[in-house]
Amino acid sequence: MTSNVASKRLFQEYKSLLTNPPEGISAGPVNEDDLFIWEALIQGPEGTPYEGGIFPAELRFPKDYPLNPPKMKFLGEIWHPNVYTNGEVCISILHPPGDDPNHYESASERWSPIQSVEKILISVMSMLAEPNDESPANVEAAKMWRDRRLEFEKKVREGVRRSLGL
Amino acid sequence: MSSSLDEEASISIPSLAFVAVLGYFIYRYFLSGPRSRTDGSQTSSSRNTGLRFTPAQVDQIAQMFPQLNRRDIMWDLHRNRGSVQATTERVLMGRGLDPAPPSFQPPVSFLTTSSEPTSPPSTTSAKPVTPDLITRYNLQSKVNSKGKEKEEDSPPPGWTSNKDARQKMLQRRREEMILAARRKLQEKDAVGAAPPLT
Repeated sequence: MTSNVASKRLFQEYKSLLTNPPEGISAGPVNEDDLFIWEALIQGPEGTPYEGGIFPAELRFPKDYPLNPPKMKFLGEIWHPNVYTNGEVCISILHPPGDDPNHYESASERWSPIQSVEKILISVMSMLAEPNDESPANVEAAKMWRDRRLEFEKKVREGVRRSLGL
Repeated sequence: MSSSLDEEASISIPSLAFVAVLGYFIYRYFLSGPRSRTDGSQTSSSRNTGLRFTPAQVDQIAQMFPQLNRRDIMWDLHRNRGSVQATTERVLMGRGLDPAPPSFQPPVSFLTTSSEPTSPPSTTSAKPVTPDLITRYNLQSKVNSKGKEKEEDSPPPGWTSNKDARQKMLQRRREEMILAARRKLQEKDAVGAAPPLT
């Protein structure tokens, strides 16, 4: 019953993303037979070291979506304070509404059924532009971002080139 | 004295003829050998008709002597029946390689294979963790034929009721995003590398 609701909702979101894609984002199910696994491409925002890059990510939706948020994981290499080295993304919009162990995220930032895949992807894009080093997922990257910004940017740019096969 | 001269002359003519005939057969053997073989199995090997070397051999020499033209390497290997040693010796002796005649047409794949894998062996050490986007989305062919790619614009956003068409559209858009990003970066490189013309 709930997974039926989830499928319908995901299909609607897919439709609207395909009809009216936000700038620099493409997303949809890997295979329409399973609407709970999506793949997205996010363009690196301009004016940041991620500029020019394309970052693929996987979204896995729970069966009770949209009550609970999907999990998002970058599939390629990405050096960012808020992305775990295994690619998992750590931002507030992906956190379930109920619990906030760290007590610094306001409820409005976190996941709720009125959010959407599009909003997640846009949030991730702005996360690329503005890392949040309060709760780093990648401590090493966060340190480098804070203390050695030039080196951080160089590393990111090299990753972008590598990912495009240049 | 005169008789011995006559003898010499009479010997040299048939021996010359013999050498000529032998040469002809050797020539025939080398030229027709591979051809008759490919006639038998025309399917896959016919594309490499008459080639007597492998891309690996070309790569091997191109790595030793990066200044050499790949076509010339292939021409030399072709003539010495794929002897890497002979070609190497030839280059080391300072004789250089003969330029390949225009009629010599190795398959395009032979020309392109190495230029990419040989140059960045240093970066491959960091790469294997995650394949790049070109590999991931099987875009190698589209990257190489970028001239054609520019004609195709990214598909207009839209929705069709056909499931396969939708999937294709999404795939096209992904590919276009990646290829466009790569082109842009390459253009930026070209601008950065070229000295400003004034």
